Amino acid sequence: MNCKELIFLLSDYIDGTMEEQLRQELSVHIDLCEPCLNFLKTYDKTRILCRLIRPEEIPEEVRNRLRAFVLQKAREHHRDIEKYLERAARERCEQVIDILRAYIANRLSPFMNVLFRTHRDRCETCGAFLRGLNGDKAFPPVPPDIEEHIAEFLDALPPGEVPTLP
Amino acid sequence: MPAERLLDDNVLLEELRKSTPEAVEMLFDRFHGKIFSLAMSILKNESDAEEATQDVFLTVVQKAHTFKGNSALYSWIYRICVNTCLMRLRGKKRGETVSIEDFMPVFTEDGMHASLIDDWSKEVERKALDRELGQVIRRFTEDLSEKYRVVFVLSDVEGLSNEETAQILGLTVPAVKSRLHRARLYLREKLTRYLREGKMQ
Repeated sequence: MNCKELIFLLSDYIDGTMEEQLRQELSVHIDLCEPCLNFLKTYDKTRILCRLIRPEEIPEEVRNRLRAFVLQKAREHHRDIEKYLERAARERCEQVIDILRAYIANRLSPFMNVLFRTHRDRCETCGAFLRGLNGDKAFPPVPPDIEEHIAEFLDALPPGEVPTLP
Repeated sequence: MPAERLLDDNVLLEELRKSTPEAVEMLFDRFHGKIFSLAMSILKNESDAEEATQDVFLTVVQKAHTFKGNSALYSWIYRICVNTCLMRLRGKKRGETVSIEDFMPVFTEDGMHASLIDDWSKEVERKALDRELGQVIRRFTEDLSEKYRVVFVLSDVEGLSNEETAQILGLTVPAVKSRLHRARLYLREKLTRYLREGKMQ
């Protein structure tokens, strides 16, 4: 091992990730070579001195400006999300009612029809609700759990597939 | 939502995905100092660092739902910060950076030190020097190209492990170690010259 090789390996030597045999080889060299010993000491000292660098402090006015900006944008973002969620919920409710009307009128697409009939026989809640539907009566409000089940059918629809027949 | 619960990364994230104002406030209070100082280290300019910090928070708030949780929250945020800053640098003319090669140790053909190596490690033990040296080293690091500077700041200033630094920068651990080693060799040489001549090069 010469000095050049030793300096190349110095960081492994210092952080203790070096394999023992190689480590001993380096130690022997360092004991006999004053320049390398001095290099090691100053390299290690450099590393320690680097910790003296304090992270850059943020000036008070910058902090206040940033805080106000970020919170303002976040509130706008939050409002957008809420508006979106409200609109999505409304649209979903309308879609579910459309599907139920199509079910009563026998206008479900063949794919939807299979999903619907299988589910009606399997799910008690939906089954009871669907059997109670009658085209003549006023349309009852859809309970949330039933709306959820039916919305899942819509999500399961292959892309491009229309759930109802014209 | 009690504020203490938001100290938990998972709870904070869950609330961030809903973009609740309390969560964003907590996020800001917890990370703005780190993000600003990291941005300052990379961009070296206060108004750029301020704009980058804004962008980082907006990205974190808008992308919170895409965070998969396969790394720690802070390391995801650091990664966003580093990427945001590097993108800004890309659009700018770089400040002059030194050639790190000019500060690498020199060897003879048979691999021996080609110059005298002084041991100044004892000379800098005085506490009074600490503040001054901290400032001096910071100025030296500002001359490094960002390839070395970013690794150095994350590992030696922020104190992250080589693995974390590698993950944040999308580098391998050996690449991080090699850059860090070269940055330290550069700083050692700069300090040697500084202490020898008692002034900045």
